[in-house]
Parts: sequence; structure tokens; C-alpha cells
Amino acid sequence: MSTGAAELLPSGGDALEFLDLGGDVVARSPLQLFWRRLRQDRVALVSLGFIVFLIVIALAAPLVVSVLGLPGPDVQNLNLTDSFGSPLGPSSAHPFGVDSLGEDVMSRVIYGTRVSLEVGVIGTAISTMIGVIVGMCAGFYRGWVDTLLSRFMDIVLSIPILLLGIGLGAACGVHGCVKGLVQPGLGSIIFIICIATWPYIGRIVRGLVLSMREREFVEASRALGASNLRIMFREILPNLAAPIIVYSSLLIPTNILLEAALSFLGVGIRPPTASWGNMIAQAAPIFNTAWWFMVFPGIALLLTVLAFNLLGDGLQDALNPRNAQ
Amino acid sequence: MRSIRTLAAVALAAGLALALAACGSSSSTSSTSTTASASSALSSSGYKSPLTEPLTGGKRGGSLQVLQEIDFEHLDPGIAYFSVDYAVVFATQRPLYSQKPNSSEATPDMAEGPPEISNGGKTVTVHIKQGIRFSPPVNREVTSEDVAYAIERGTNPDVANPYIASYFKAIEGEPTDMTGAPMKGIETPNKHEIVFHLTEPKGQLVADALVLPLTAAVPNEYAEKFDKNKPSDYANYEVATGPYMLKNNSEGKVLGIGYIPGKSATLVRNPNWNPKTDYRPAYLNEIDVKIGGTSSVIGRQVLEGSNVVQNESSVAQPNIRLAAEKFKSQLEISPGGGDHYIGVNNKVGPFKNIDLRKAFWAGLNRTALDKVKGGTLVTNVATHFIYPTINGFEQAGGLTGLKVDYNEHPEGDTAVAEKYIKLAGYPTGKYTGHELTTIVASTGDPFEEQAEIVQQTLKNLGFPVKLTLVETSTMYAKYCNVPKEEITVCPSVGWIADFPDPQTVLNITFNGTTIVPTGNVNWGQTNVPKINKAMAAAENVVGNEARANAWAKIDDELVEDAAAIPFDWDKQANIEGSDVNGVGDIWNVGEWDYSYTSLK
Repeated sequence: MSTGAAELLPSGGDALEFLDLGGDVVARSPLQLFWRRLRQDRVALVSLGFIVFLIVIALAAPLVVSVLGLPGPDVQNLNLTDSFGSPLGPSSAHPFGVDSLGEDVMSRVIYGTRVSLEVGVIGTAISTMIGVIVGMCAGFYRGWVDTLLSRFMDIVLSIPILLLGIGLGAACGVHGCVKGLVQPGLGSIIFIICIATWPYIGRIVRGLVLSMREREFVEASRALGASNLRIMFREILPNLAAPIIVYSSLLIPTNILLEAALSFLGVGIRPPTASWGNMIAQAAPIFNTAWWFMVFPGIALLLTVLAFNLLGDGLQDALNPRNAQ
Repeated sequence: MRSIRTLAAVALAAGLALALAACGSSSSTSSTSTTASASSALSSSGYKSPLTEPLTGGKRGGSLQVLQEIDFEHLDPGIAYFSVDYAVVFATQRPLYSQKPNSSEATPDMAEGPPEISNGGKTVTVHIKQGIRFSPPVNREVTSEDVAYAIERGTNPDVANPYIASYFKAIEGEPTDMTGAPMKGIETPNKHEIVFHLTEPKGQLVADALVLPLTAAVPNEYAEKFDKNKPSDYANYEVATGPYMLKNNSEGKVLGIGYIPGKSATLVRNPNWNPKTDYRPAYLNEIDVKIGGTSSVIGRQVLEGSNVVQNESSVAQPNIRLAAEKFKSQLEISPGGGDHYIGVNNKVGPFKNIDLRKAFWAGLNRTALDKVKGGTLVTNVATHFIYPTINGFEQAGGLTGLKVDYNEHPEGDTAVAEKYIKLAGYPTGKYTGHELTTIVASTGDPFEEQAEIVQQTLKNLGFPVKLTLVETSTMYAKYCNVPKEEITVCPSVGWIADFPDPQTVLNITFNGTTIVPTGNVNWGQTNVPKINKAMAAAENVVGNEARANAWAKIDDELVEDAAAIPFDWDKQANIEGSDVNGVGDIWNVGEWDYSYTSLK
């Protein structure tokens, strides 16, 4: 039975909510509130479930491939191509068919999950970290620091990232760059992705900090003699958690797509390492005769990006219900 | 070496590097013989082939539509060096000698007869036919001075012919700074005779090279003003001597009329062409080239169209398959597509050890490498370096090549590979050394797949491997053509000769004296004194048969040395519409010959 107190609050209000325990009113923690709202978003939950499934697949790829009785992702078998060199289609032994080298497409899609998640998660984590630090410094200190960092972000945002990727791929492809520090492969893709995406987070954080630094709790903290670093990281940062989580979750699919695009252009993950982007690139010339080679990694990419986007939307609704309204 | 698109960078390099090309000697003939029997063996049965297409009896008239994805590079006969360009250049221009579609033998074209080589190989004399006239607006008869000017302008830096330094450097008085000035060694005693005086006895090489379009006549008084521009824009106003000409206006302007870059080219009959002076039938009235689109889409349009052909450096593999399965009569397979081999660094890295090179050769599944390119329809497993249609192919063992155990199993033989690894000092039969094998290959289909096969082979044999894929021009210009990069394996390299003498296939690519710091096309840096010496001797051999034998022996030695690993003798696929009697050739990478093609 409701006491009626909760009804007095705006529906979905983010200030207070109360548990109705038969007359006792118990305040919910922010986490409980978040989970309660997220649970109500079935699309987000399904997306979360799919992402968890992907993570499991990625972590246990060798085991999954073995259990399914598939050959490894790099096992070539030209006997599985016809006399024109065209790959054979789906069969019971190779449910997703094989590619031009007779490699099992399903096995490669499964292993490709690793690359996509690694790039998506690690790339996003690093760019978020950089973006948060730079954005906080710019927003908190204002003045010349803000000007300098903001212009720097503008410059970075103006870099044509695909061209940068192609250039780095050509220049550092064989012997690496910066005395071998920048090597082709996953590391350089993450590096390129971080360069491309951290300013987006940085700009958002800067804007939020600019308004938050004028709030009373910051004034109070400053009056109590807290240092700038403490104010930034102990007082302001926790209040930025919700938007950062939301934007990061939306950045992950962007990064996955960027990796796929770079791999498609031939400067990302290179064969024989399986990546959905390079699989799609390899499949493009023979799509007419081997649709499965493009369709299955394409579906995997589509579903993964969709899942992260839908989860991101769900997180946004759950963490910031005012926006949802 | 002439450029097909995938080999374009090599072509440029070849131009720079073949200063050490060949020495000729006195001879009364320079014609090179076709290896028709070998080519027949290599043609794909059941499909059209340039070797079997009738060259006479075509229907006169009609307009042929040509669809091609890529634009021309150069239509100026003094610059053209790309197979797609050659299709137009050889329909509009007549060099001193040229080749019929089904033969790589040089046939007198503007020349009256075979070149006369005298003075110990230091003089070459050619007599020119009477009655050959330039197309409008020039209209006058061709003279020997026009041929002289055509060759001399090749050294004009604003024309910059890509192969003149390779084949015509021996001409007396050629300015070393390539200024385009008249050459002392080119004499025109009368209007129909041209004499080349050489500083070295390279008459055979110069005579063989007269099939190149640089020798197509250019009227000095007309072209000179265009050649003074930087760069020369003679191509925008060029006149023809062949059966067709690029459509032009009364002032001779071609640009925007007969050729619109990126869009179209229109070839019409040359009103001044005299069929009595030419061996070409020239059935068609007009050839309309449409440029642009996507090769795979164009291919389908052509197969389902009527009076249309596709002209590309290579037709998309799915369309070749489609043609083979549903439009068999519209598919032509030419055996003259050059060759591909794996460049293996003989100088540094693990493969400086000859036994490890042999192990690599033995363990490699060359059939698989060919299969990812389209299988036996467009490839033949290569067993040595002189490829079909080149003089000396049969003498070098024909299809089977030298009988050595590492060459006998194209599918790869692990046992033989392990035998040679053991001989190299690794008792387990696996390479246990620590030298990294760097592989740099070209992106795109089928090079990526081929590189992966090579990588897997080396891994299976125990080699630590690092594969890098880069764009084709980068692969050549930055890595495989640069010895100091010390790339261990270049699996995407290939070669096509400018004319069918075996020296043009083996000398620059395997002679140790041709190694240069950049633009190097001796990819393996093969530098075996015995082979170098044999090449020096073979350069002076006279006569086709003798030259074939001499260079075939060198080919054998290169196989014995496992200097590189040949895996593919290319066949070129061409597709045509249902109402076309297309005739391709065996000497221009199999491109269509518009002077022989007709409509049904």
C-alpha cells in the first residue's frame, strides 16, 4: 500500500525514490534506481545479454571453435574451393561456408569478435581516460589552459582520420615507426582510434565541468580548503559518471566500426588475423559468387554495433531519466 | 618490361635499370619466333584463344563499343607503355615492326622487310614502305625522317619515353642528359631508309626493339610545337598512320573530341590509310570506348550485351567464372599474360642459404597460389622463369621445367622441404634459426590470399614470419625494389617482357650487375658470378634458336640456384558481347586487337 509520498514526486524523477515496504519507506541507492530503470528497458536488456554473450565468445573462442568442431581460423584448405578458386558455401561441416583460402568463416567470425571487442573496449577506455582528463583540466582551469586545450582538441578533430590511418599503415607497415614503437596491427589501430575519438569525450566533459565548477558543493569543498585536484577528481568526477558512461557506451560501436573501416581499407587488422572488417574487404570482390563470406561477418558487425548502441540508449535513459521523458 | 596495371611500378623501374640490357651481334635477321606449340599447350581448351581465332573473313563495318573501368595512361606513341593504352595505340599507329594477334614474331609494318644488321652488329638498316600517309590534318606521306624524329623525341624530357634507355641507348650520339636533340647515330640517307649506327654491337637488341610504338612515325613539322610544351601535349593533337585515328577536328585537335579523359575515346577510320601497305584487315568502322564504372558491373553488361567488349588489364574473377559457365563462347583466354614468382632474398636473411630456398620451393603449394587467382583457366603452374610465348620456353623445359625434386610437386612436398632444411643444418627438418622472415606483399585480390599461403608455408616449415600488406606501388617503390630494406620475401612480383626475347625476361631480373639501390627489379638480389658470366656470353649469341638455347640454360641454372620461386604463368581472360568476333593477342597481355576484331 502506498503512503502516497512517492506519487507526489515527478514520475521518474531523479531526485528521490522510495521503496514501499508495507508502510515503511526506504530510500533506494542510485545503483538500485539505475538497475530498476534499466530492467524495465527490455531492448537494452537483450542488448546487454547479447554483449555478454559476445564477451564469452571472445574469451572462449578456441574452446567454442573446438566444441563446434570447426577448424581453426587460419587453417587453409584449398580443397574447399572449386576449380575457379571460388569458395564453397555453407554446409554442415562449415555452417558459414569458407573463404577464398578454404578457411572456415564461422571460425573466423568467432575469432573476429575478439578483435572487435578489444578495439571497441580498449580503444574507448583509453580515449575516455584521455578525454576526461583533458576535458576536466580545460573546464576547471578555464582561461589560457582552456583555450590551449580546446584549440588542441579542435586541431585533433580536424585530422582526417582515415587518411592518417592509411598514411601510418604505409609508413609504419613493415619496420614500424618511432624506432619500432608504432607497429602495424591491433596496437596501432587502437592508437589511431584513440587519436580520433578522445576529443569528443573531452569536449563533453569540459562543458559539464564548466557548469559544475560553479555549483555549491564545489564552493563548499573549496571553502574547506580542498586542493584543485581533490575537487576535480573527488567532487566533480563522480558527478560526471553518468554522462561518461553513456557517451562511452555509444563510443564503443563507433570504434568498432572505425576498426572495420580501417581494416576494410587495408590499414587495420591484416590477414591472417581475423577481423570482421578485413573479412568484408576480402569478400567484396567475390560477393556475387560467395555471398556468405560477406554476409556473416557483416551480420556480426551489424548486431554488435546495434547492441552497443541500444544499450547506450538504455543506459542514457536509466542514468538520466529526465532525458528519457 | 611493359606495364600491366599491377606491374606498373616495375615498368618504371625497368626503364631506369636496364641500361645494362643486352649486347647484340651481327646478324641478318632480328625477328623473334613465337612458341606457338607451347602456347597451344597452354591455351584453355573449349574457350576462344588468339591462337585459333581466324584472322581473315570477318564482316566489314559496324561500330564496336568498348567498356573499360580505367582511363588510358598515355596515348602518345612515344610514351605509351600500358597494355590498355596499347590496344588503341596499335590500332592507330604503325611502328616499323609489329605483331599479328596470334604470333609474337615481328612482322614488317611500316618497314619493307626485316632489319639488316651489319658492321658486326653495330649498324641496323630498315627500309620503309612507300604509300603510307599520315591522317588529317597532316595528310602527307611518311618518311624515314618522321621515324627518326619519333625516336629522338623519346629522349625529350617532356616526352620521357620509359624504355628508350633500355633498348636504344647504344645509338650513337644519344645525349646522355636526355635533351631530345637529334641523334648522330640515326641516319636517313633517303626518304625510305633509316640507318641506326651503334656504339656497341647491340644490333640484335635494337632490331628486336623496333616493334615498340616509339618507332611509329611522328611528323616533325606538325608535332614539334606540341613537343615544346612541358610536358608535350602531342597526344592531344596526334595524327595516325594506322587503320584508325582518334577522331579530331580540322586543326587536328583530339582532346575533347576523340578523347575525353575519364570519359571516352572514339576511333574512326583513317581516310589516308592504304590497306595495300598494311597486313591488318581493320573490319570495324568505328570503336567507341566508354571509360568508367566498375569492372565487375561492366563485365556483366558485356556478357549480356551484343556489340560490346570489355578492355581491362584484368577482368573481374567472378565475371570470368560467369562467362565460363554461362557465356562460354564469349570468353577468350590468351596465354601471353606474363609470369609471377616469389622474390626471395638471396643476399640477407635465412634464404641466403640455397638449401633453405630449395626447401621453401619444395614446401610451397604453387597450385594453391594459382587457384586463388582463378585456377587453371587463367593460370598455369610455373616451373621455371621463361614463360610461354617467349623464345626459349620449350628449350627451358616447357611446361614441366627442370627435373629437380623441389620442382616436381606443385602441390608442395613437405618431405622434400624437410630434406633441404636438414641439409641446411637443421637436423629436425624444421627451421630453428631466429632470423625473422619479413614478407611484404601487395593488397588486393589475389595477392593477399597468395601472401597468406606463403606465410602459412613458411610457418609450417618453422620460419618466424612477419607479413605486411601494402598498396602495390608502395610494395614496389618502398620495399621490394629497395635492397637496403632487406625484405626477405616479396610474393607479389611479376614480369612481362616488352618483346619475346628471353634476355628481356631474365637479364634485368637475375643478373647481379643490374642490382641498383632503388628501382631494383632483381628482387632476390641474385648475384651468382657463374650466372652473370653466362648472361654476358648469351647477350652476344646470334639467331633465335641459339639465343633460345643459351638463355634456356641460364633459366636452368636459375632454377638450380632456386633464385626465386616461379608459380604462375598468367593467362589473360577477355570477354565480349554476343555479336562480337573479338580477337585478342598473345603479345599485349592478351588485350583485344581492334584491327582484327569484327562484328557478326
